[in-house]
Amino acid sequence: MRTKRFGILLASSALFLAVEMPAAAHAQKKDASEAAQQFQANCAVCHGADASGDKGPALTTPNIVAKSDAALIKAVHDGTAAGMPPFPQLGDETIAALVHYLRKLQGQGETALTVTGDAAAGRTLYFGKAQCSSCHMIQGNGGFIAPDLTEYGRRHAAEAIRKAIVLPDARLAPDARVIEIQTKAGKKLTGVVRNEDNFNIALQTEDGRYHFLARNDLADVHDTGHSLMPQDYGTKLTDRELTDIVSFVIVTGQTHPAEPAPKRHNDDDD
Amino acid sequence: MRYGKIVFGFAAAGFLLLAAGTQQTHGQAAKASTAADNSTGLIDVKQSDLLQKQVTDNWVNYNGDYSGRRYSAMSQITPVNVSHLAPKWVFHTQEAGPLEGTPVVVAGVMFMTSGNDAYALDAATGKQIWHHSRAVTEGLVDDAASHHNRGVAVLGTRVYMETDNVHLLCLDARSGNLIWDVQYAPENKNYGATAAPLIVKDKVLVGTAGGDSGVRGFLAAFDAQTGKEVWRFWTIPGPGEFGSESWPGDQYLLGGGTTWMPGTYDPELNTLYWGTGNPAPDYDGSVRPGDDLYTSCVLALDPDTGKLKWYFQYSPHNLYDYDAEQTPVLVDANFKGQPRKLLVSASRNGFLYILDRTNGKYLYSKKFIANLNWAKGIDENGRPISNNLIPDEKGVRVCPSVSGGTNWYSPSYDPATHMFYFRSMESCSIFTSKHQDFQIGQTYYATGAGRPQGESTKGVINAFDLDKLDFAWRDPLIGTTFAWAGVMSTATGLVAFGDDAQNFVILDGHTGKPLWHFNVGQIIRSSPMGYAVNGKQYFAVAAGSGDLFAFALP
Repeated sequence: MRTKRFGILLASSALFLAVEMPAAAHAQKKDASEAAQQFQANCAVCHGADASGDKGPALTTPNIVAKSDAALIKAVHDGTAAGMPPFPQLGDETIAALVHYLRKLQGQGETALTVTGDAAAGRTLYFGKAQCSSCHMIQGNGGFIAPDLTEYGRRHAAEAIRKAIVLPDARLAPDARVIEIQTKAGKKLTGVVRNEDNFNIALQTEDGRYHFLARNDLADVHDTGHSLMPQDYGTKLTDRELTDIVSFVIVTGQTHPAEPAPKRHNDDDD
Repeated sequence: MRYGKIVFGFAAAGFLLLAAGTQQTHGQAAKASTAADNSTGLIDVKQSDLLQKQVTDNWVNYNGDYSGRRYSAMSQITPVNVSHLAPKWVFHTQEAGPLEGTPVVVAGVMFMTSGNDAYALDAATGKQIWHHSRAVTEGLVDDAASHHNRGVAVLGTRVYMETDNVHLLCLDARSGNLIWDVQYAPENKNYGATAAPLIVKDKVLVGTAGGDSGVRGFLAAFDAQTGKEVWRFWTIPGPGEFGSESWPGDQYLLGGGTTWMPGTYDPELNTLYWGTGNPAPDYDGSVRPGDDLYTSCVLALDPDTGKLKWYFQYSPHNLYDYDAEQTPVLVDANFKGQPRKLLVSASRNGFLYILDRTNGKYLYSKKFIANLNWAKGIDENGRPISNNLIPDEKGVRVCPSVSGGTNWYSPSYDPATHMFYFRSMESCSIFTSKHQDFQIGQTYYATGAGRPQGESTKGVINAFDLDKLDFAWRDPLIGTTFAWAGVMSTATGLVAFGDDAQNFVILDGHTGKPLWHFNVGQIIRSSPMGYAVNGKQYFAVAAGSGDLFAFALP
């Protein structure tokens, strides 16, 4: 806890989550690039090159982020009940360096991203002219239909964020796809999917309503291949404005305490 | 003993004979479905929803409504057709901790917590539609270190929950996104929080756990919109305040009296009823002389200001960890022939109490623990006549045990049968005590309580008839896994609960006769609830190792 006082702490000043654990001091001795190589050699095969998960679980989820360095070092050294093999052969120093490196992949520590725009101006745009907030919540303000961006800037570089704004359909997440549904009763619905299986679809429309539908009752389910994001931010916003919005998102992500992000689907890694 | 005898022949024949009646019920349900259709899926909880007098489709807070009756007015599932009840889905929480919560259901969406995680589910399929993930806190003390969480409160498009490290979270019910996060306990790290919050008007009411760890209990109200604190009632008086003679020096900062279960609310009397926990240190009363107000009490508070209207103390100067967290159930019924506004509570101290909730006046009590020995009885003012069994280094045997004659698991009141249903526990403890200095990061029991050698624990389901002021029936539970499982009742006279053999059981509330059971394969440590989606009535109950079960007719 960095901020301590009696009474209430409002979210804006609440830098209190005990997740910023400085990696063990001796980890600094290991060269960062060597730690990166060790991660690729030992960890990436299961956890992915950027720790976002592969055969094994993602290591960037809130529960892993919140674990202490000591707990992570122990997990690497001894393995886990969930099936991770032990790696005592790496030695204590390398294991500590790996955990330190993982902290960077989790968006902690020394990953200061370059900000070239005016974050305050970006904030004004986000909540004003660009209307980002009508769908995206950030630090407790904004809409609900699209992902919360409070932490987005912690894990994404400026270029990637800019690309996501001007080319929103380039990398469509499953829960961002706009789905058009026609029921056998003739009802038409357009929204995003919050859960689906071979039997049911839970669709959320832009008014916030959940529609719990049985596939047997549906005449057509059409994936539009688009998200709800406007396609014209590249022309509607100037280069400067885009840079400002990107800067706002990055600065927010960097300064916000590591807050767990909500998950909409049945992720098997949390 | 009634328990365990199910007459299949009778049930099946009854079902056939009453098929027409069942059809009728389904017809009514279909109508309800049409009416409910427009409201399904859209979360926007109004004051009128929270003030509902009949719990049908929506179970809007921990106890279903403000009265704490844990009573569903749904009538689709009856003593006749309940034998056809079947599991509809199971939801497994990813962080499989012990589940002690009761789900809240609004417009076909179910909200549940596990540790610091919140989930929104399709209440008809159990499929997750969002999950707010937040790691549990390491380094907590005692109860908080178990990360128990008993559920959410809802208002408008928002969901509220407490966290193990005493934060109040406000989430967007449509996405699970965090809107605000307020830390509401003072510096003392021994605080924890486990309750479901309660919404009253535009405020969120929250309490804390930690009463065995030397914290000063309080109840706090926060503006539901902004998260700003509106009032705070300290359950342990500060220096110079009424009752402070029990708390010499700084002892009031450690006095306990925590508020770790949701209270109840009477909108007409504009009064909030909230139970407080045991005094601390638990077993050493020498450092807290007198009655130790306001521990082991029910408090009647003004919800707008937090001002105390009256209090009633069940267990003055308690030495046995007898919290008074048991739900203060608000009952409008005849008492000795007169219509009264009553407050009924089965207390952890082994007596059932009836109070006049307009003024806190004691009306009646009844011992429900056979081997109770800590008190001779209750005097005409409601004060126990203590047997002065004082824990010392050698130890003293006291009944009920440290776990109480009952505990936080919910009671239920059926306004049709006038029965008050609750689970009780027959057991005793050897209490030992010696002086302990308070330390941050450690519990503050001042020694311990253990089960006497060779003695066991026995669970009982009780039906207390408020008309006759006597027990209508009492069913001992067979089994080896004592469940911390509450009861609920329904408009068709059904009583549902987890038994001591890992079964979810439904029995006939008039007679105690078991009608149906299902083996959930794990200890139930929660209180059940009921809801409906598209005209179909469900029961739901959380089970010990992280599974939430829903049951309905085929």
